Amino acid sequence: MVTTNDDAGAPDDIIICRDVNKWFGEFHVLTGVTTSVKRGEKVVVLGPSGSGKSTFIRVINRLEEHQTGDIIVDGVPMTNDVRNIDAIRREVGMVFQQFNLFPHLTVRQNITLGPMKVRKWPRNQADEIADELLERVGIPEQSEKYPAELSGGQQQRVAIARALAMQPKIMLFDEPTSALDPEMIKEVLDVMRELATSGMTMIVVTHEVGFAREVADRMIMFDGGRIIEEAPPVDFFISPQQERTKLFLSQILA
Amino acid sequence: MSTNVSAEQRIALPPPRLERGVLGWLHANLFSSKFNSGLTVIGGALVILVLWFGLKWIFFDADWEVITVLGGKLAIGPYNTDAACPGNDCVWRPQAGLLLVTILMGMGWGMAGGGLAKRLALATAIIAAAFAMLPYSLDKMGWDVRLMLAANLPAVGLGWLIPKYTPLRTTRWMAVTGVVVFVAVILLLRGIEGVPGLKPVSVIYWGGMMLNLLLAVGGIAVSLPIGIALALGRRSNLPVVKLLCIVFIEVFRGMPLITLLFMSQVLVPLAFPENFPLNSLMRAAIVITLFSSAYMAENVRGGLQSLHPGQAEGARALGLASWQATLFISLPQAIRNVIPAIVGQFIALFKDTSLVYIIGMLDIVEFGRAFIQGNPEYLPDAKELFVFLALVFWIFCYTMSYVSRRIEHNMGVGRR
Amino acid sequence: MASVPRRLTYQGIPIWRHVQIIQWTTQIVSGILVVVLVVWFFGNIANAVQDRNIPHGFGFLDREYQTPIGHHFLPYDPSDTFLHAFLVAITNTLFVSIIGVILATILGIFVGVARMSNNWIVSKTALVYVEFFRNVPLLVQLFFWFYIVLALPQVREGYVILNGLFINNAGISIPMSVPSSAAAAGIWIVLALGSVLAGVAAHRWLSWREIQTGSSSYPLVGGTAVAVVIGAVCWLAVGGGFGEAPLVISAPAPEGAFGRIAGGFTLPGGLIALLIGLVIYTSSFIAEIVRAGIQSVGRGQTEAGRALGLPWSGVLRNVTFPQALRVIVPPLISQFLNLTKNSSLAGAIGYSDLTNVAKTMTQTAPAVSIFILIMAAYLAMSLTYSLIGNLYNRRLRV
Repeated sequence: MVTTNDDAGAPDDIIICRDVNKWFGEFHVLTGVTTSVKRGEKVVVLGPSGSGKSTFIRVINRLEEHQTGDIIVDGVPMTNDVRNIDAIRREVGMVFQQFNLFPHLTVRQNITLGPMKVRKWPRNQADEIADELLERVGIPEQSEKYPAELSGGQQQRVAIARALAMQPKIMLFDEPTSALDPEMIKEVLDVMRELATSGMTMIVVTHEVGFAREVADRMIMFDGGRIIEEAPPVDFFISPQQERTKLFLSQILA
Repeated sequence: MSTNVSAEQRIALPPPRLERGVLGWLHANLFSSKFNSGLTVIGGALVILVLWFGLKWIFFDADWEVITVLGGKLAIGPYNTDAACPGNDCVWRPQAGLLLVTILMGMGWGMAGGGLAKRLALATAIIAAAFAMLPYSLDKMGWDVRLMLAANLPAVGLGWLIPKYTPLRTTRWMAVTGVVVFVAVILLLRGIEGVPGLKPVSVIYWGGMMLNLLLAVGGIAVSLPIGIALALGRRSNLPVVKLLCIVFIEVFRGMPLITLLFMSQVLVPLAFPENFPLNSLMRAAIVITLFSSAYMAENVRGGLQSLHPGQAEGARALGLASWQATLFISLPQAIRNVIPAIVGQFIALFKDTSLVYIIGMLDIVEFGRAFIQGNPEYLPDAKELFVFLALVFWIFCYTMSYVSRRIEHNMGVGRR
Repeated sequence: MASVPRRLTYQGIPIWRHVQIIQWTTQIVSGILVVVLVVWFFGNIANAVQDRNIPHGFGFLDREYQTPIGHHFLPYDPSDTFLHAFLVAITNTLFVSIIGVILATILGIFVGVARMSNNWIVSKTALVYVEFFRNVPLLVQLFFWFYIVLALPQVREGYVILNGLFINNAGISIPMSVPSSAAAAGIWIVLALGSVLAGVAAHRWLSWREIQTGSSSYPLVGGTAVAVVIGAVCWLAVGGGFGEAPLVISAPAPEGAFGRIAGGFTLPGGLIALLIGLVIYTSSFIAEIVRAGIQSVGRGQTEAGRALGLPWSGVLRNVTFPQALRVIVPPLISQFLNLTKNSSLAGAIGYSDLTNVAKTMTQTAPAVSIFILIMAAYLAMSLTYSLIGNLYNRRLRV
C-alpha cells in the first residue's frame, strides 16, 4: 500500500496533508487542511483555542480519525489498513500537554514499554536506550523513580524520552509547556532545541513565541479549522498578511 | 530555615494555662462548655456502667465451657470426626495447610522487607503458636497437634528466607506461589485416592473457620478475573455484550446471597449437564464467586472510570494495540486504585460466608449453633458462644480493614 | 487534486487488516460467544426441566398453600393460595425493611454525629460502636439477639410494665388502637389526612409570610396547631355521628390456660431480634456514611457561613447539611437496599420473610418458577430504591 501520488508535495515531503476534513458530530473541526512538511523541517503551529490546531496534529498519528482527504506520512497513506496505522504510529512520536506518563510504572519502565511491547526488543537493549535518552534529556539519575516523584518539567522531559525511545522520524508536541510552571518551561524547551538541532522533523503546537522565532522553519496559523497563514517566522512575526493573525499576535505578545 | 533576628529574640510567652498539658487536654476535649461537660458526665457514667457489667459478665457470670468443649472443632469443623476420617488421623492436614499459608505470608514479608507484610506474617505465626501453649485443661490437644501449631514460627522464618536466596521474589512469582499454595491446600484437605496418609475426605465434612476462609479467599481470587471481564464488557460499545453484563451484574447485586445460595441447590445442577460432578461445596463456591464477581465488576469499573483518558492516548501514541493498552496501562492502574475497595469487599464476603448454613454446610457459626441445638444442656451458653464468635470474626475483619486503611494511606503518600 | 477517499473505503486493503472490520469482527465474535454461553446455560436448564420431569409453570399459584406462616401482617390462613402466601411473605419483608430503614437511619445519624463530637468520650464511644458492629457478621449478631430474646422469661413469668407492656420470650406486646367499626374509622382516617394536609398548607403559608414580612410567624407551631385542631374536631364529629369513638385502644392481656397474650399489638421475638440486629448492623455503616458526608464539606464553607454572620445552627442547616446530603444520599440508599436484602437472614431466627417462605414453598411447588418470582420481587425492590436515588439526584441537579 506504499503508493503516493506525486502531484502534491516534493519527494522529500515526510508529511503530506491534502484537503483533510474532520467533524466532531456536526462541528467541522478541520476544513480542507492542505499542507506538507519536509524531512527535518520544524513547524510551529499557532492559533486560538478551538481553532483545530491540536486536532490537526492528532490526526497525523490517528489519535483522531480524519473523515475525508489524504494524509501520507513517510510515504505511507493513512487508511483503515492496520498495517499502515501501525507503521505510521511507529514513525511518529507524540508529547502531550498533560505528559500522560504512566503513574504505575517507573521512569525507566515508562520509556522501555514501547520498545519492548511494540518493537519486541529484549530488555537490556531497551534499558540501554532508556539510559541513553535519560542522559540526553538531562535526568539520568531519576530512572527508578515514579512519575509522581518528579517535577512537572522533569516529567515532560521523561515524556519526550519515552517518545524518542521508539526512534520516531517525526515528533509531535501538543502544547508541551502549557501545564508547566514558568521556571520549568525553559528546561523542556532546551531539550526541544537540542532535538531540533539533531535534525528531527518536528511539529509543535505552542504559544512560546521565543522558541518559535529561534527554532521554527515555518509558522502555521490556524483559525476556524483551516490554515489561514503559512510563513517563515521572520515574515510571520514582522509582517503578517492576515488581519486575524495580526490580532492574535498582538494578543499573545502583549 | 530563614533566620530572623527579631523573631529569635522575641520571648515566647507560654500559652494560657487552659491550653496546656493534661488540664488543657481535659478542658478542650471534655469540659469546653456546659453542654460538653454534661455529655462527659452522662457518657462517662454510661461507659463505666457498660464496662462494669460487661467485664463482670465476662470474668464472673459467663460460662465459657461451651468454647472449650468445641475447641479446635471451631477451626476445622467436623473434618477430623469418625464419619469424615475413620481413625481420626486427618487433623495434620489442615494444619499443614496453615503452615503453607504461613510460609507464603513469610515470603510476603521477605519480599516487602517489613511494614504491613511483616506485621501480618508475624501476627499469624505468633497467634497460631500461642494456641500450642494453651493449658491442657482448656483444650485437650495432643502433642502432635501442638508441635504442628508451634511449627508456624519457624515456617514464617523459612518463608522470609525464600525471597532472599531464591528467585521467588517478584510480585508475579508471589501470585504464582499463592495459587500453588491454594491448590496444594485444597488437595491436602481433599486427599488423593490411593496415596497413603491422604485418604479422601468428603467436602461435606469441611467446616469451621477453615471453610469460611477457603470460601472467602477462593471467592475473591476467582471473582477478580470474572469481575474484570464483566467490567470491560459493561464498558464495551457492543450493545449485546453490554446489556448481558449489566443484567448479570444487577441481578446478582440485587438479590440477597442467601437466596442465591439456597436456590443454587435447585438451579445450579440444572445448568450443568446431568453427569457433571457437583457437591454442596462446589455449589456454594460457584454462587459465592458469581455473587462476588458482580460486586468486583463494579469496583473495577469504578477504577477504570477514575483513569484520565490521556493514559489510553499515551499508550496508543506509543503504538500499543488497544488490548495492550488495556492490559499494561488501564487495568493495572484501575485495580491498584480500587485495592482498598477490594479489601472491603473481601471483608464483606468473609462475613457473608456464614450464610452457607442455608445449604447445610457447617461453617464456624453453623457448627456452633448446631452443637447448641443438638446439646440443649448448653442452650444457656448460646450467648457466650456467639460473643466468642463475634470476637473471632471481629479480629479477622478489623485486621483486614486496618490493612485496607494502611494501603490507602500508603497509596496517598507514594506514587500516584 | 487526487480523488477524495470516503470514510469507509477498502482501497484494496485485505479485510483481515482493515481496522474497522477487525473491530466489528472482534466485537461480534465476543458477542456471539457470550450469547452462546447464556443460551447453553439456559438451554441446559430448559432441557433438564423437560428431561427430568421437573414441574414448571405458574399454575401452582392458584393452589392452596396448606402451610402455616409463622407471623403475618396480612390476614392469612393455610387454605389461602400460594399467590396470597407469596404476598404475605413480601409484606413481611417490606414491614421489616421499612421499619428497619427508618430506625437504622435515625440511629446511624445519631452515631455519625456523635462520632464528630468534640467530646472525647462521646466520639470514642461512637467509634467503638461503629468498628465493633460492622466487623461482625450480621448472622452472628442475629443469633446473639435471638438467644437473648429466648432467654427472656416465659410468657407466664414475663415482665409486665404498667399493665400494658408485656415482655416475654414470645415477644413484646403493646396497646394498639384498633378501629371500632370500619365505616367510622375509615371516615375519620380520611378526615385526619385532610387535616394533616391543611396543617401543611398552613405551614407553607406562614413560612411564606415570614419570608415576605420578615417578622416571625412560627410556621411549625401554627401548622401543627391547625392540623391538631381540625383533627380533633373531626374526631368529635365522627364520634358523635356514629355514637362511638372511631378508634379504640386494645390492650394486651393474658388469656387462656397458658397465659398467651391476646389483644394489642405483639412484635414476635424473632422479629424483635431481627430488627435489633438489622438496625444496629446497618446503623454502623450509616454512621460512617454520615460522618464522611459531613467531613466532605470543606472547612471553608463553614467559615464562609460564619463570616456571613449566620449562627452555628444556621450554618449547619443552610450550608453544611444541604452539601453533605449530596454525598450522603447515594451510599445511604445502597445501605437501605442492603438492609432489605439482609432481612433474608430472618429465616435463621424463625421469622417468615420472603426468602424463608419461598424456601418452604419449593417443597411443594416448582423451584424454577419460585426462583423467578423471588428474583422479580427483590429486583423490584432494588429498582425502587434506585429510582428514589435517581429522583433525588435529579432534584439536586436542578
